[in-house]
Parts: sequence; C-alpha cells; structure tokens
Amino acid sequence: MKNKRTGVVGVIAAAALAFGVVAGVPAQAADKEIVIWGDEKRGANLEKLMAQKSDWVKGYDIKIVTWSSFTALKTALDAATEKSGPDIVMAPNDWVASGAKNGKLAPVTLTAKTKAQFTAGQLFDLSYKGKLYGLPVDVNNTGMIYNTKLVSSAPKSFGEMVDLYEAKKSSLKSGLCVAGGGNAFGGLGIGTALGAYPYRIAADGNVDSADPMNATTFAANVTKYLLGADGKSNGFFSTSDSTCKDNFLAGKVPYAIIGNWEWKDYVDKGFKMNLMPVPGVTAGTYGPGFGSVSGALLTTYAAKHGVEAGAKTALFNIFGSATGARAYQAIEGRPAASKDGAKYAKTAAQKGFAKVAGTSSLPQIGVLLDGDKTSYWEASGAFWTAVLVDGKSATTEATKLAAIYKANLAKGLKDL
Amino acid sequence: MLVSIFRGKFAFVLKVITLLILSSLLVMLAQQAFASGEYAIAIFLAVSTLALNFVYLTKRSVPLKFFLPGLLFLLAFVVGPILYTLAMSGFTYQTGNTLSKPEAIAQIQKLSVSQDENQTIFDVTVGKNGSDELSLIYLDSLTNEYAISTEKKRTVEPESTVVKDEFDIPSSSPNFRALTEDELGALDAQIPELKFYYNDEYYLALEGFQAASLYKKSLQFNEASDEFKSPVNNDIYRDNGRGNYANVSNPEDILQPGWRAPIWFENYTKLFSEERLRTPFIKVFLWTISFAGLSVLTTFALGLLLALALNKAIRGRRIYRSILILPYAMPSVMSILIWGGMFDTDFGAINNLFGTDIAWFQNAAFARTAVIVVNLWLGFPYFYLVASGALQAIPAELSEAAAIDGASPRQIFSRITLPLLLKILSPLLIASFAFNFNNFNLIYLLTGGGPIAQLDGEIAGSTDILISYTYKIAFDQGNSNLGLASAISVLIFLLVASMSMYGLKKSKVLDDFV
Repeated sequence: MKNKRTGVVGVIAAAALAFGVVAGVPAQAADKEIVIWGDEKRGANLEKLMAQKSDWVKGYDIKIVTWSSFTALKTALDAATEKSGPDIVMAPNDWVASGAKNGKLAPVTLTAKTKAQFTAGQLFDLSYKGKLYGLPVDVNNTGMIYNTKLVSSAPKSFGEMVDLYEAKKSSLKSGLCVAGGGNAFGGLGIGTALGAYPYRIAADGNVDSADPMNATTFAANVTKYLLGADGKSNGFFSTSDSTCKDNFLAGKVPYAIIGNWEWKDYVDKGFKMNLMPVPGVTAGTYGPGFGSVSGALLTTYAAKHGVEAGAKTALFNIFGSATGARAYQAIEGRPAASKDGAKYAKTAAQKGFAKVAGTSSLPQIGVLLDGDKTSYWEASGAFWTAVLVDGKSATTEATKLAAIYKANLAKGLKDL
Repeated sequence: MLVSIFRGKFAFVLKVITLLILSSLLVMLAQQAFASGEYAIAIFLAVSTLALNFVYLTKRSVPLKFFLPGLLFLLAFVVGPILYTLAMSGFTYQTGNTLSKPEAIAQIQKLSVSQDENQTIFDVTVGKNGSDELSLIYLDSLTNEYAISTEKKRTVEPESTVVKDEFDIPSSSPNFRALTEDELGALDAQIPELKFYYNDEYYLALEGFQAASLYKKSLQFNEASDEFKSPVNNDIYRDNGRGNYANVSNPEDILQPGWRAPIWFENYTKLFSEERLRTPFIKVFLWTISFAGLSVLTTFALGLLLALALNKAIRGRRIYRSILILPYAMPSVMSILIWGGMFDTDFGAINNLFGTDIAWFQNAAFARTAVIVVNLWLGFPYFYLVASGALQAIPAELSEAAAIDGASPRQIFSRITLPLLLKILSPLLIASFAFNFNNFNLIYLLTGGGPIAQLDGEIAGSTDILISYTYKIAFDQGNSNLGLASAISVLIFLLVASMSMYGLKKSKVLDDFV
C-alpha cells in the first residue's frame, strides 16, 4: 500500500509539474507589437484611427488598450511592470514630472520639422528637466460661454458681468459658475482675472521667477466684485454649484466655464459656442485659464520590450505628421495640438476653444503647481471656500494663498 | 450514503484529481512568479504545493488536513502583507525613488546625454556598409556632405553616388544598402544602445528608424567608485545613502530617478522629529481614538437600548426587529453616499428638515458630528443584534431573584444585566473599536478626511483618521511616500494589536481558552 501511495504521489507530482510548467510558460508576445494605453476617450479615438489605417509603422502591429477612465489609466500605469506596461501612454501633461522621476517615461528628440508642428509652450508642457517625453496630441482647456438667453453680447470686463448679475439677481441662481474642470482647473481664469496667478509666463516664453501675485490687489478685487457690503459672498460666483451646467442650460446662470471635452452637450441644446477667456477687471484684459496639452508619451517599457525605435516612429508618424494629425483630428472633439491638426478643426467649438487658448492661456506646468505642503489644486479651492463660504477675511486668505503660490513656484523652478 | 462518498476508492480518486488540479495551478503560478522575478512568491507557492500534497497524501498530521488551507491563506494574505509593509517602512520609497538601484543607474545613464547646441537631427536611413557593418547614411546639414557613419568611423560619400528616396532622403549608395523592414524590426531591441561615430565629441543616436540626433555624454558613470562625473564641469555625484546620487559639492542637487534605499527607522523617527509630520500625526491620532471610542460607545448604547426595549413581548416586535436590522442589511457604501447627500449644504435633507444652512463638511465640529451620526446609523443594528442574543443568554432567574430581594429595575440593569452583558460582549466591543480605528470607507466616502485648512499648510483633515491620513501620504497625486505610509501602517497595527490585547486581557475573556 505504501509503495502504491508513493507511486501516486510521484504521478501527481510529475503530472502537476508537467501541466503547470506547460501552462505557466509566459505567452510569447505577438511579434513586434507596439502597445498604446489611453483613457476612455483618447483610447477609443485611437481604436477608430487604427481601424482606418493600421500600418503607421511598417512591420509593427499597434495594439490599443482603452481604460475606462483617466483614474483607471493612472492606476494601471502606476502598477505597470516591465511585463504589463505600455510602450506609449496617452496622458495629461502633469503626469510627466512624476513619470520621469519614477523612471517610467523615456525621452524623445524631435526633428526640426516635427518640432515646428507645435508651439514651444506645448513642448515645454511635456518636458521635465530639459528632456521631452512625448508629443502633444490635443489641447486641454476651458472657456467661458455666455448665455444668449440672458446676455446679448460678450462682456468686456469682470465688472460688467457682476453688474448684469446684480441687475437680474432675483431670477438667477448665480452669475458665474464652473461647469467643466472643477474650481481648480476650470476656475483658474476667475482667479487670474482678479489677479491670483500661480505663476506667470514672461515675454520670452519662459516661466517668470518673480512673485506671481499681489495679495493686496487680489483681495481688493475679490472684495469689490465677489463680496457684498456685509463681507459675505454676493452670490455672483458660486463655488459649490454642482448643477452649474443644468442651471446654465435652464437660463439661470449668465456665464459658465465649460471644458472642451463637453461642448457637444451645449451645442445639442442649441447654444452657440461664443467662447472667450474670463474678462479681466480692466476692459480688454483677460484672466488666462489652463491651456495644457495631453500627450502621447514614450515609456521606458518600450526599450524593455525591444520596440523603442518602433514606438518612437509610431509617435512621429501618428502624432507628429500631417497625415496622422489630420486623421486623429477628424475623430477627436478637442482642439488639436499640432498646427497641421488645427487646420482640420471642423466645428465651431474646436475653433472656439483654440481661439480661447490663443487669446489667453497659461500652460499647465505640473511641477509649479505641486507644492511641498499645499498644491495649487488644494489651495485655490480652499481660498474660495474660506472667503465665499466660510466668510473669512479676503485679505488674510489672499496673503496665505500668495505665500503658497510663491513657495510652490520657488520649489518648482528648481525642477524645471 | 453521504459518508460513503468520502471513503474508499472513489474518495481517493477524487482527492487525487483535486490535488492534481490544485498542484498544477500552483506550479503554473509559481513558474510565472519566478519568471517575473518574484522569487519569494514563487518559493511560497512551491512550498505550498509540496505541503498540500504531503499533508493530504500521508497520515503524518490529521489536524493539518483541516488547518493547512487556512494557514496558507493566513500566511499569504495576512502575514505576507504585514512583513512587506514592515520591510517597506525601512526604505526610501516615494515618488522619485521607486526603482531598484541598477534600474535607476541605467535610466540616469540614458538621460545623461546632451544634444549639440543647435539640437541637430538628421534624416537617416539605417543599413549596412560594404563591410557589412551597421551604418547610417544621411545628409549632414552642418557640413552639407553625404556621409555614412558606423560605430567607429564616418566616411563622406560623393553626392553623385547617393540614391535618394521620394522625400530626398539618402537611401543607398555603392557602399551602403538599406535594411529591410524585417531587418529593422529585428534590430529594434539594440537600437537604444547603438552609437554611430560623428566626431570625437559627438555621436549619432537613432530616434526611431528615420532620424538620428547628435549627442555627447553629459555624465560618465564609474562603476568601481559608484559615482557619476560630469566631463563638462567635473561635478561628482555619489550615492547619498538615501536613494539618490547627489552632487558632492551641493547635496541638494540630485540625479533622478532615484531608487528604493534602506533608511532603517528614519521613517519612524521623522514622524516624531519633524514638526510638519508630528503635529498632524498627533492630531489625527487623538481624533482616531476619539472617533473609535465614540463610535463604539454610541452604537453599543443605542443597540443595547433597542435590544432592551424589544426584549419584552410587545405587539409587532418582529416587524420592529426587521426594520432595525435594515441599515445593517444595506451596503454601507450606499448608505454613506446617501448620508453624504443628505448632509449637503444646499440640497441636503438635513438642512431642509431643520431649516438650517450648515456647511456640514466645511466645519471641523459639524463634519465630526456628521461622521459620528452616520457611523451610529451604520453600527447600531450590529450591537442591537448581539445585545439581543446576549440578553437571552442571561438567566432570567438572576433578575427575578434580585427583584424579590427588592432591587429596582435600574439596579437590576446596572448591577446584574450590564456587567453580565459586558462580560459577554467585551470581545465584540474591542473588535468594534479596532474596526472603527481603521474605518477607512466611512471617512473616505463621507468627508474625504476634510475639512482641511489647506491655506494654513495642513496636510491632514479634521476628520482624517490614521488610516485615511496614511492613504493620503501613500497615494497623493503629486508626491506619494509609500515608505512613510508603511511606517504609519506598522504603528497602526501595533496600536490596534496592543489595545486589543490589553482589552482582552482585562476582560479575561481569553482565560476560558487557556
């Protein structure tokens, strides 16, 4: 019986080992496959692009992996390993710094011809410590739209908008709200219109190292335009309006900031894309919103997979060529980053958002926004809450905000 | 009949087949883990396979036949993560320090190149020269010559001999043939390492298959001395012992990426030595204790009250009991989100009901009240259930005897029922405290840890408990610090374990097991 048992144990061990080894042999990757990861929109766009034309790099298959959201894409990228990671990832520009620091992104060098397709600011957006990590794909920005049910012409100054609100206050939910991008991303233009800049771009196109904002001026503007005589919010700017879009569509808000990824909802409801940056306190000036780009970024996994040259060629052929830009732009709803792509913008919205970006925008530079303690993303929203909701002193809170922006700029400049 | 299925030849065959399938699966997983470089997991799976077969095919240890699966799961999903967390708490493991040292060195070397000042880049064709050496042919726009570069030399080709493609890019010559697509594809893995001679200062490196840039090394790595040196300004970068190469003359100047480096207990010590970490840590710790204590107290009090009320035979008791259990039956995630909506300042039912205009989640006191109220809703049915059960277990004779002796109902409750209940329920109260100590879902979904005075530089919110604070440190968008988060996790583990052990010892409930 003992021998019989031993035999059975041997048979099991041998069979299990054989089966396990055969089943466990890692599947061989398809020959020369370039894998691109994208979110639910850009990934889906690329899938359509590949359905139209698949031979962007001769001798290579391009596989698109579409994640359900940006969050899912970020989580997957953070957890990616040499085996699972993509060769190219479609990502917002503020992933560049952490991706480069963590050794997940690899640098690329563009030919003069490809470089000429983009503005220096767009390439700067995708750079970290002087190295470029990908090619710009589309512009990510917001614009202010005015409600033609309530307003007959474009406002010329911030004060004009407030005056209109005060005149029609009883029938309005608020004067200005942020429908797209949240108060931090979408609401930047409101802050900058009143003087709160997290950083400024100098005339030579570089980041200005001087103090970006004057707390006293900003506090005075906030007090004048956003607070009532009692020191509390006058209701013009609603910081916590989660139904901004619905209120705007219902004709209860005259001005709203919308994202360039959602314009179709407004067009479908019959709204014209009368897009503009938020007007400043002086007529003819504007508060720039973020005009960042999303890019197709090369990863270090491409070299590990032995397809780096193919992946770089895919980047140049798809996102750096006129053919690629034109084909992608025909599918994408946002303004194209490349000059060739922009030529083929089809809709008024795409042109409108491109105009907003051209008129007044601030490149979104991640390392200048992330602070040691408090990032721009946290501080900007906290300021509005403190002053407009909690009723704290605008001067005190503006001073704190200015100190945070100054510290973040000083820290970020070292990383640029 | 049922018993006979588990005996005899049939049972043996069934056991062998089950073990065969399980072993195959484990060997497969072990092999994949080994291939991925996860040696600890591979060894654990291999040992588990052997242990399973040994235990179930021999009669050496009958108790192990019952315990082994649970033991293996305990090792894999409890002991393993604890050990991993403990190990990670001793490392610099944060944004910028996620790679291994060899990976970081390779990446720094790759980044340590600089283009010429004109950022020259040529359109090239990759091929082989007359000597069958890998080469590039290109129009050198700096010298206006056609040239072929191999790894060691650059030769000029007469323009008349160069054949150009439709884009006017040189594609062949008598001394050069272009590689086919298949040949190029096969070469891809080597391309990142290829350098083609341009002059003594610069070399050409491919950018894809159709372009090459002029580069020179901006940092040289010396493996023997483990340092990078800049040939431009002679700056030396050495391992700073904290996961980065730092400039010897300016330690702030570090090369990136860095790597995970052992720093032993530094993550623990800086929790108490660095003001910016110590203050929020203490604040969060105190609130965590208060939150867990208040949660246990309120849920137990309400649960017990209801249990006492429904312990008497009253009309509709079953219906009341069913209704009271409903909050427990509903998924807590859904309940928390609904409560979150009910506390909304503008549209929430709470403000509408009381005619108030309270910004519940923007004021520390209100937010904490909301957290306790929601947790009371979520937790009281549990204590109602266990208290109801425990009340049944207390002999009615004790209360009757006390009543005969003249004790009032209040005295009976405080001197007999409650002490006996506490004796029975102590382990559950301690478990509830431990659960609430780590009640991440409630805080994350209801308040996100806020409100937080971000303009004052605070990094922890008023309702953050240790576990949600740890999560923020570990997974902050811009600057995550897994090493520090691991250290806090270890402290949480030690705190909860100590408090639980103390509570269990005091209540003497473990005495029965000894």
